[in-house]
Amino acid sequence: MKRIGIVLTFVFALAFAGGDQLVVAYQGGAVTLDPHLRNETTTLAWQHHLFETPFFFSREGKVVPVLAASIENVDPNTWILKIRSGVKFHDGSPMTAEDVAFSITRAATHPKSQMTGYVGKVSGATALDETTVEIKTKVPDPLLPAHLDHAAVVPKDYLEKVGEEGFQKHPIGTGPYKFVDWLNADHLTLVRFEDYWGSKPDFKNVVLKNIPQGATRVAGLLSGEIDIAEKVLPQDFARVERSGRAAVKQTPGIRVIYVAMDYWREYGSEGLPEGAKNPFMEPAARKAVYMAIDEAAIVKKIMGGAATVAPQFLAPVHEGYSPKIKRFPYDPEGARKILEDLGYNDKDGDGWLELPTQSGGRVPFELRIDAPNDRYLNDAQIAQAMASMLRKIGIKAEVNAVPKKVFFPNMTKGHFTLYMAGWGSTDSINTMLSMFHSKDPEGRYGRFNREHYHNPEVDALIEKAASTFDPAERNRILQQAMEIAMLQDVAYIPLHYENVIAGVAKGVDFTPRPDEYLHAFEAKKK
Amino acid sequence: MLRYLLIRTAQTAFAVFVVATLIFLGLQLTGDPMENLAPQDMSEAQVEELRKAYGLDRPVYIQYLRFMGHLARGDLGISFLSGEPALKLILQRFPTTLKLVLVALFIAVLFGLPMGVAAAIRADTFTDRMLRFLSVLGISAPTFWIGIMLILIFSVNLGWLPSSGLSSWKHYLMPAFTLSLYRIALFLRMVRSTMLDVLNQDFIRTARAKGLTERVVVYKHALRNALIPFITVAGLQFGHLMAGAVVTEKIFAIPGMNRLALDALYSDDRPVIIAFIIVVAVLFAVVNLVVDLLYAIIDPRVRYA
Repeated sequence: MKRIGIVLTFVFALAFAGGDQLVVAYQGGAVTLDPHLRNETTTLAWQHHLFETPFFFSREGKVVPVLAASIENVDPNTWILKIRSGVKFHDGSPMTAEDVAFSITRAATHPKSQMTGYVGKVSGATALDETTVEIKTKVPDPLLPAHLDHAAVVPKDYLEKVGEEGFQKHPIGTGPYKFVDWLNADHLTLVRFEDYWGSKPDFKNVVLKNIPQGATRVAGLLSGEIDIAEKVLPQDFARVERSGRAAVKQTPGIRVIYVAMDYWREYGSEGLPEGAKNPFMEPAARKAVYMAIDEAAIVKKIMGGAATVAPQFLAPVHEGYSPKIKRFPYDPEGARKILEDLGYNDKDGDGWLELPTQSGGRVPFELRIDAPNDRYLNDAQIAQAMASMLRKIGIKAEVNAVPKKVFFPNMTKGHFTLYMAGWGSTDSINTMLSMFHSKDPEGRYGRFNREHYHNPEVDALIEKAASTFDPAERNRILQQAMEIAMLQDVAYIPLHYENVIAGVAKGVDFTPRPDEYLHAFEAKKK
Repeated sequence: MLRYLLIRTAQTAFAVFVVATLIFLGLQLTGDPMENLAPQDMSEAQVEELRKAYGLDRPVYIQYLRFMGHLARGDLGISFLSGEPALKLILQRFPTTLKLVLVALFIAVLFGLPMGVAAAIRADTFTDRMLRFLSVLGISAPTFWIGIMLILIFSVNLGWLPSSGLSSWKHYLMPAFTLSLYRIALFLRMVRSTMLDVLNQDFIRTARAKGLTERVVVYKHALRNALIPFITVAGLQFGHLMAGAVVTEKIFAIPGMNRLALDALYSDDRPVIIAFIIVVAVLFAVVNLVVDLLYAIIDPRVRYA
């Protein structure tokens, strides 16, 4: 019986994964094959097989030219882009400056484009000759080359001929793989593009699949139906490694899990007892919470090693990552002492610190920690661990972990006092503008700064960095802003970077990228 | 008969109108869709531009009137995320769910019905108790657990069956069985109890008294009468499965319409959510109609004049 099983497994392995085919299982699927319509990691990762952009990020976080040969900034609002020569679309037609100009304009100005966070400053692009594109911006954007990583190039004539719906039925790009078949959000079947300008991928046939359940992805990996499975859960690591058929590969990612605190309501913050003073208005109290969290233990015990301790908000591959920013040491006694020195001591001797109230009384330091329970790896457990760590220093912390559908709207509305969330962006300027810059009435800045963190010095540095064209200078300014925000103001408490995890079958050589884009064309045969 | 069908169609249209209104209003209560639709890289000003492009900047009553106007013409709108018609996305996946559900129901009837009859005619024997015990297991075992266990046994350990997708007959076995297990148990219990009721009635005694064989009594007289409630339940189960196979579709990564609706719910793709609910409402109406018509075939006393 067992022998039959083994033989059948072998047959299946050959039928499903063998030869020249690579099957990749994702936790989601592309919801559209129009490359400017949806800005979401899995949708873009699938599209990257078909479409390319003028520039893209390397694994190390450097901006590298792809369909561009070079770019030059002639005045603050004008860029001259030379396109790579010899690039062909999947239908055999050559890529022209006309196509590139059309695509950049479309990504920037299509009413439903979700790429405007990157190329929204572009007012238009025009082809000057066969190989030259002139890009005009409304306001100076020193990061334009990097931002063009969200401006996928599509063939102008073809798109205009078949229309937007027709294009999705059979999309054409310049990417290393050609379209064969797809079902929205379920699977995308691809075949290698033999006229590809760059180095050709190892596998001729590729199937990208949406397998939402982690246990099913692992089962497929172990049964040989799947060659690469993304987001293998830590509880399955041992089973994958023991199977002898696959291995777990990890890379520290760019998504940081952090704790944010309310510092805009002195009284009436919703996670504290009614009428209690909000201690987190003061940086010292935020630092005390920081010091009370044993992040090394969280990474080891809760994340099962599937995360990397984060010393700051940005990841090492990011512009503006400062080596000067280290974690505050884990020191529960020191943390309690800081809170006691601030006057939040335990006067009635019941073991819990106390907060003064608006009416002059005192209440126990009760704190509701808000967290999602279905968004980040082990999110609710992390919040639980933090609660028990805070209880050790005398804060009576309770966790309120809810589905993301409930969590995020409440977070936006400012119903939280102290909460855990995650942030991942390749673009440091965007991170700084939306998380660290104070809100402005025009809605340009601080979209995700729900805690109303506000430091005019940091605002000024961020704005300066956003208009600095020299990369080294920009990096230095960002580092300076980050040092103030993280060390002096304790704007957020970084916990860890989620590792990007993939289960990889034995015959395949593959390591995931920090930016979570999983690309089949980066897989090699062993 | 024609008049009857016309009335039923009008009722269905009215039900769709009510359901569409309720779901449209219900979705307004779930908060700002841009929260889930707009990527975090966009500034607030850009999010407002996107809101305008989706038509979500208009007052709710305008949105509602536009939506109803389109609905009357059979247009359920364009998916926010994919840019394709929402109804097309649902209907693209409808056959997949339908096939899976039909196979599951077939298995459930194939096992549940004879087991129920067997339990009834051997009431309170060992067979009956055994079947009833198994049916409790079948009703209480969670779909999620059954699915994962099947995958572990048949895909990982034995390597006999594929763990995900729905492209060959082998793909159907595990998910269809997962879905049918509860229904086998349900049908068994239901057929057993209605059969017992019928078997105790006067006309059965008369049938036995006039010397008919037990076979004819059970299958021709008793079962035929017990089938009427069974068909109602089976019809309802068909509807429930079509709109409720979501866990199974997720575990086995089956591209059915339930999974699409779940994803749409998570990302607040309202046109797709509404399209799904309307398709399900119409489906339930059709199933009820078919069940009613089947009554007439099985029970000659029922007539729709």
